[in-house]
Amino acid sequence: MAGSTIDHLVSLTIFLAAILLFISLFNQTIQTAILYQQHRHLATVCSDLLDNIMLNPGYPLNWSKTNSTLTSFGLQDPEFTQYRLSPYSLMRLQSLTGIPFTYPRTGVTYSNMSMGFGNFLFVPYTKAINYSTAAQLLGTTNTYGFNLTIAPIVTVSVKETHAANPLTIVVNVAGPGFPLSNAEVSYCFLKVVDKGGQKNPSYTSLFSTTYADGTGSAVINMTNVDADNAYVFIAYAHMSGLVGIGYHERNIGSKKYVLPLIDSFEDRRVLLVHSYNVHDEGPPESSVFFNATFVLLTEDFTLREMPMEDSTGKLGKVVYGQGTDKTWANLTIPTFNPGILIATYQTNNEYGVVLMPWGLSSMAFPVTFGTTADKPEWVVTDIRQVLVNGIAYQAKLSLWSLKGYGVIG
Amino acid sequence: MMRTIEILLVIIIITGAFIISSLFAVLPSPRQVSPMNLPRLALTTLQTLDGDYDLSATVFKANNDPAWAQLQIALSACLPPNLVYNLTVYEIQSGTQLYTPIRYFSNAENLGVSSESASYLTASSNVTFDVTPEKIGEHSNSGTLYILNCSDANGWWITGYTAQSLAQDLRDLLSPYFKKTIMVQNTTQLGQMLDNQSLQGETLQNAVVINTFGECVPIPKDYCQGYGRQNEGYSPSVAPASPYTRYCYTLGQRTALYNWTWVSIVGWPLYYVSNKEAFENADNTYGIYGMQLVSRGGINAFLQGLDNQAYRYDAAPVAFSIPGFVYLSSTVSDNCSYYGIYPSVNQTSTRALSTSIINDYNLTVALKIFDQVGSNIPGAVYDHIFRNDVDITGSLLALGLTRTPDIRLTALGLLAYYNPRLYASDYMANGTSRLVVLQLGQAGGV
Repeated sequence: MAGSTIDHLVSLTIFLAAILLFISLFNQTIQTAILYQQHRHLATVCSDLLDNIMLNPGYPLNWSKTNSTLTSFGLQDPEFTQYRLSPYSLMRLQSLTGIPFTYPRTGVTYSNMSMGFGNFLFVPYTKAINYSTAAQLLGTTNTYGFNLTIAPIVTVSVKETHAANPLTIVVNVAGPGFPLSNAEVSYCFLKVVDKGGQKNPSYTSLFSTTYADGTGSAVINMTNVDADNAYVFIAYAHMSGLVGIGYHERNIGSKKYVLPLIDSFEDRRVLLVHSYNVHDEGPPESSVFFNATFVLLTEDFTLREMPMEDSTGKLGKVVYGQGTDKTWANLTIPTFNPGILIATYQTNNEYGVVLMPWGLSSMAFPVTFGTTADKPEWVVTDIRQVLVNGIAYQAKLSLWSLKGYGVIG
Repeated sequence: MMRTIEILLVIIIITGAFIISSLFAVLPSPRQVSPMNLPRLALTTLQTLDGDYDLSATVFKANNDPAWAQLQIALSACLPPNLVYNLTVYEIQSGTQLYTPIRYFSNAENLGVSSESASYLTASSNVTFDVTPEKIGEHSNSGTLYILNCSDANGWWITGYTAQSLAQDLRDLLSPYFKKTIMVQNTTQLGQMLDNQSLQGETLQNAVVINTFGECVPIPKDYCQGYGRQNEGYSPSVAPASPYTRYCYTLGQRTALYNWTWVSIVGWPLYYVSNKEAFENADNTYGIYGMQLVSRGGINAFLQGLDNQAYRYDAAPVAFSIPGFVYLSSTVSDNCSYYGIYPSVNQTSTRALSTSIINDYNLTVALKIFDQVGSNIPGAVYDHIFRNDVDITGSLLALGLTRTPDIRLTALGLLAYYNPRLYASDYMANGTSRLVVLQLGQAGGV
């Protein structure tokens, strides 16, 4: 009798231990499989969401050029099919990485997409699409978080290797995996003619074309350029369907200059403001005089200057103070064709040139839009090659689930 | 003891079940858990490379053409470094073997453990339904199209465009219809034309000259104040306020002499003259430098020259803003489908020429591009024929529309005036399509 009881006790103990062990083992396998399915599903959602953004122009179709309220989110260029994005829609994405700033004179806060001093792009928050609006329109609120990066494929770096007579500029053209050997390089060289102090500056411009060597490098020599000349050099590189842009400026002084702030997309209006009004470096300070022009990339990949009328506000001055003179000037971009606004400026002892792309692709600016992941369990990414006004870009979407991962806990 | 043995047997059975189920529940490799959509990446890469039809052009080139090497460089440059590829181009044929590989290149020995691909169909330029137009002037001593593309002049009322971009578009539209198309690259070349000098061995007589500079016209430096030919371009004694009206008179004379068809694409014809060098410090009062105001007298002086009248300054307005909304004439509307050019049928005219010029300068309306509104003609081709004569001695195509110009109207007006025929050729089916397959794999790992 005792032996039978012991037999039952031992067998039951072993049985329960074995059952627990096997439940744990099966559970492990099932958890791994479910996680795999969830990750796989997330990858599918990421690919679909990226296509949804890239292949849909949004509604209204021309929302990026007007003051209309966006009711459907998409970045495709409404004038094209396939993966071609609108350069204006990209401008209206609220940048995740740039530090926003508020212009004290108007109280307007701007999304900052600038690429360093002289290469500015500021879009008012009221005109830019924020992440929560986009997520709501895409139907991802509270379910998925995402981060969209759109960056140029071709890198065109422009460096000054000799300062004067001749000014030597080296242009290097490369993609993420390889230099673009023998690429055609079309360039615009614009030199500021300093007229001394309180006058509008003038400029001379030169447009030409050259070719990169086998390492993707082109050397360009400019005569009649002194070490104290301010200039801007803009280069477009082109080969087998790939187009990239690079630029370089030399400014004399870096405190007093004009800063372009987009005011209205529909009216193509830009505010030019005194830098001291932005950085609040303190009065009194002299006026900054400016002379603006606009260049665009033509279909044959050459740069062309588009003369601006006086009525666009191309000539003027801005002051620091609050007197009768203007603390900002209105300037109207003459066209909806993408291009580069070039504003030459001068004040008593500082002069130079600042650039602003009209259409994000004109200066190959990148943009990062979305939110940052807060300790996500899994992040998936997908990429597409896209064209933005003929410029090759890569769009990368990172996506994660906001629903947690209950299968583990 | 039996119970324990039974339990051990149960454990063996469950272990067996676990092993068997584990064998069937094969988990994927880490790379497959969250894959990048390689087929989409391959497709968008091919679309990007073909964004300006470079890929389509390259795949039809000979195997030793440098464009293939450039394509490979561009492909390598635009893909992330961790991706390996194989690009193969197939000829599409009829018969038993539908796809024949004709060229491939890769950046790796193999594409790793797995790869994905996308295909892209390219068409050669021969695949389109080919139409050969009759060349204007091919049966006579004419057929030259001059397009003013002067780099040393600025335009006016062409807002949103440059004269050079308009010139490019006009060349694309019209060059198939002319024996020779010449882009007049600077005002020096324009001066040569005015002196009956051929630029590229073309026939100067009976040519068409399109002024892409809108209300402005380029002027050679030689015709400006202080230069050798100033008497033919600058005359302050006749018109102190608008001395360059004289240049418009010269243009009219040359138009008659060479029997040109002078084309004004928008606005008030010949309202300004432009030369960036000669007028470096002068602007048109609206901030466009390199320009001098001629004003209303320009078109009158041109017509005086055309009609061989004595030059006098006449600023009486011959263009008016009354018409407003105007409509394409039925003749021109009919030509839209024939030539495949479809501008909007209604436009806004604010610079329509008056019918009074017809009698004043011996003009005949050869073609109304827009319907006449009262005594205003918003757009037309005027032939100049001396009284009691039958020969045409110069023509003027004037589109008195408001800015911004639509150069399709200019093209359509010229084609409707000259009426070249279109000869349709056969559809060429063989060797017109090629399939490009891009296969992508990820380097390294499992």
